[in-house]
Amino acid sequence: MKPFPTWLLDRTKNKDSHTLAAYEKAGGYQALATVLKKPMSPADVIQEMKVSELRGRGGAGFPSGMKWSFMPDPAKDPRPRYLAINADESEPGTCKDRVLMEQDPHGLIEGALIACYAIRAQAAYIYVRGEYRKSYDRCQAAIDEARKKGLVGKNVLGTDFSCEVHMHKGAGAYICGEETGLMESLEGKRGHPRPKPPFPAMFGLWGQPTTVNNVETIFNVPFIVTRGGAWHASIGTKGSKGNFLCGISGHVNRPGVYELPFGVTAREIVDEVAGGVWKNRKCKAWFPGGSSCSLVKGEDLDVVLDHDSLKTKGSSLGTAAMIIIDDHTSIARVMEIIARFYDHESCGQCSQCREGTQWLAQIFHRIATGHGLPGDVDALDALAKGMAPGKTICALSDAAAIPALSAVRLFRDELEECVRQKQDPIPYQRVEYAGAH
Amino acid sequence: MVKITVNGREVEADPKQPLIAACHGHDVDVPHYCYHPGLSTVGSCRMCQVEVQQGTAPGRVMVACRTYPAEGMVVSTESEKSHATRRECLEFLLKNHPLDCPICDKAGECDLQDFTYQEGQATGRSKEPRRPLEKRHSLGDVIVLDQERCILCSRCVRFFEEVPKKAQLTVASLGSRSVIATFADQPLTGNYQGNIADLCPVGALTLKGFRFQARVWNLVKMASTCAECSRGCSIQVEVLRGGDVKRFRPRENAAVNRWWMCDTGRFAFDHVNAKDRLVNSLVRDGHGLAPRSIEDGIAAVRALLDAHSDALFVASPFCTVEEGASIQALAKRRGTTALFVAPGPNGLKDALLHTGDPCPNRRGLTELGLQPIEPKELAKKLASSKAAVLFGERVVELAGAAAIAALPTSTALAVFDCKAPDAAACTVAIGVPTSVERTGTWINVDGQKGPIAAVKPAPAGVRALARHLAALDLRAEAARS
Repeated sequence: MKPFPTWLLDRTKNKDSHTLAAYEKAGGYQALATVLKKPMSPADVIQEMKVSELRGRGGAGFPSGMKWSFMPDPAKDPRPRYLAINADESEPGTCKDRVLMEQDPHGLIEGALIACYAIRAQAAYIYVRGEYRKSYDRCQAAIDEARKKGLVGKNVLGTDFSCEVHMHKGAGAYICGEETGLMESLEGKRGHPRPKPPFPAMFGLWGQPTTVNNVETIFNVPFIVTRGGAWHASIGTKGSKGNFLCGISGHVNRPGVYELPFGVTAREIVDEVAGGVWKNRKCKAWFPGGSSCSLVKGEDLDVVLDHDSLKTKGSSLGTAAMIIIDDHTSIARVMEIIARFYDHESCGQCSQCREGTQWLAQIFHRIATGHGLPGDVDALDALAKGMAPGKTICALSDAAAIPALSAVRLFRDELEECVRQKQDPIPYQRVEYAGAH
Repeated sequence: MVKITVNGREVEADPKQPLIAACHGHDVDVPHYCYHPGLSTVGSCRMCQVEVQQGTAPGRVMVACRTYPAEGMVVSTESEKSHATRRECLEFLLKNHPLDCPICDKAGECDLQDFTYQEGQATGRSKEPRRPLEKRHSLGDVIVLDQERCILCSRCVRFFEEVPKKAQLTVASLGSRSVIATFADQPLTGNYQGNIADLCPVGALTLKGFRFQARVWNLVKMASTCAECSRGCSIQVEVLRGGDVKRFRPRENAAVNRWWMCDTGRFAFDHVNAKDRLVNSLVRDGHGLAPRSIEDGIAAVRALLDAHSDALFVASPFCTVEEGASIQALAKRRGTTALFVAPGPNGLKDALLHTGDPCPNRRGLTELGLQPIEPKELAKKLASSKAAVLFGERVVELAGAAAIAALPTSTALAVFDCKAPDAAACTVAIGVPTSVERTGTWINVDGQKGPIAAVKPAPAGVRALARHLAALDLRAEAARS
């Protein structure tokens, strides 16, 4: 792998990187000063974001500059407006935002302030996953520090711009990572996703115009402002610009969160960055971006990891959380665990998702434990097709159906074999994890 | 208004109302569970899938409750794609449904049953045991919840939030473990609980009072009007064939009660089901009130009227406009004015429907010229009168049964009521039908006409008040002879 410029995780190597002193020493809050004092207009910031071609890092990969420009014109729509930062990182395999929030919370807060300035929001809400206690504490401490320095609150840096940053702790529901579910939860209601339209830019938090961005997306903003959108657009592949945080987990020697440029292949990541598949085994299958995207076969590791290339393998980049599965692993058991997760996390509003996630979990459990019935694999395929795509209010149903469909598509023989033999052909082994670094 | 095509027929639709409303408005049925015209739309059951084509784009299957009509939209509710999507949805909905239709009170009027039948989902792939949940979960005095049958459409949750505006129910837990629940298992309160049993598209929420009372296909149903208060909610009276009234249910009426009714009105059928009815007539002789024929009773009333030219005419507030007009006409010919018993507010008034006025036809009778009189005033007036005739259903009860019983025998009282009065002053009593046994019109507090219907026959020996009044009409009698 060729050497490449990094910026996302650079500061995390500094001592006490989460403090304001360390952040300022590393050049922190310069981007905010540039925006406010140069001054750049909100439209300039959005334009810079558009030039940067940054795409959302929360899974859907929507162009961030365009998302910001959807916010209504404040001259025509004087309602209050908000920025919601999605830090409810709960996609299985994903742990990138956590590193940023724990090690470099000021980077997030600076990005949030600039984003609020660009979309003219009065306040930013950081919705942190409930289990991330350290992230919550570090971000809250950073906000308090920044407030003392006049960076958060009324008249930021002595200018007219005022902006609050609030922390909110989730209660551990996966569905609250869905943007409308997140807003409902922030409002103090059950995290039931709302039907769209209306979209958050018109009807978001408390019915006001709202932009919802992922932590890593917001974290990129100060860099784009200081170094220019064109700089960001010069890195990466067509349609996927900049660096991304890749969380690699599963059967590799060195699991962890790594900063990588778009354009590297999955094989490079597994072999060079993560130290190869453990125990000198082969990769049987892998998820490119969390458990909600299609499985990809082990022999397809040469695919370039970016938004568009993975589509050729029928999958997607998602949150760039690679899960590597070695060839000693039963796909039926992998899918049983994943299906059980979605059954546990479905919010229960839509019929297909509520009943379908449970159903998939039951069938995969049956197959994996040697009680599979004839026709089960076909049933999986038909049921998953009944759940996706776009048949429900939010994408959780799709997220449950897509891996199931890919498992049937790629590993039908293995699943059928499980059913036929009335036992899993790959005997169950207690998995000993190497432990994260 | 925009022009859309529904199943090949061009119709006008309101772009502010969901597509499903436009379809229903033009008699095109779209199966649905979570959608209800009186509640906000959540689009969660995913049942109302229809194929929508806009412009040159290929048709897409969309939920009709969250899609809004746009000019030139082509909608097909019957395309193979939309049927297939709905069948798929039903398969999921039926996965954990207990299918205990043979013992379910909702069977016969259950949307899950009807739409499954309609969509022809004959086979299911489910081999798993059904989700075991609580079958009899009490939600207070009115409602019992069967968690297994529930399809989580959340109509009941939204009803309490949006109609009485007092949230009481919620969906608790997540995903396939979701159940409808109240906070900390508290019982439901308020006067509008019964509505959620009507709203429930399946047999999950049932009325405790109707549980195992009837198979709904054995109920004779007729449109009528509620007698509970002067709101006069449009209702449907349901009578078990050859038996009792089993249910009052609200009937959609945008001008009066929309889709709702209060529990006081809903369960006010003890009176119409009462077994101790007054049939034929009772005429006082030396030993007390003795059963006689109707003709003997009428003769006794006529004798009373002949003897006392100043006899008071008092109607029940349950008298219809038609009955009130006859009473008033008779009174006028005798040179007096008829009164009607009008008890004051009963304290049940609320912001939604109940007016607190227990006189269903107060406005109708007042407009006819009958004078309302409070029970207390009436008792005084009766005590000082030589004779009086009380007309109509529940007149003695509303005038105060105790006050009537306490009247001195110096007042000669003739009573037309459903129940035999226990009053020494009563010289003659003749049976009349209840409000589910006769036809007529009430006029509600806002001037809306409410028809009442004869849903079941009156007991043998009970004739309509109109016939008694005709028989009493002295002038008609004179003309005949």
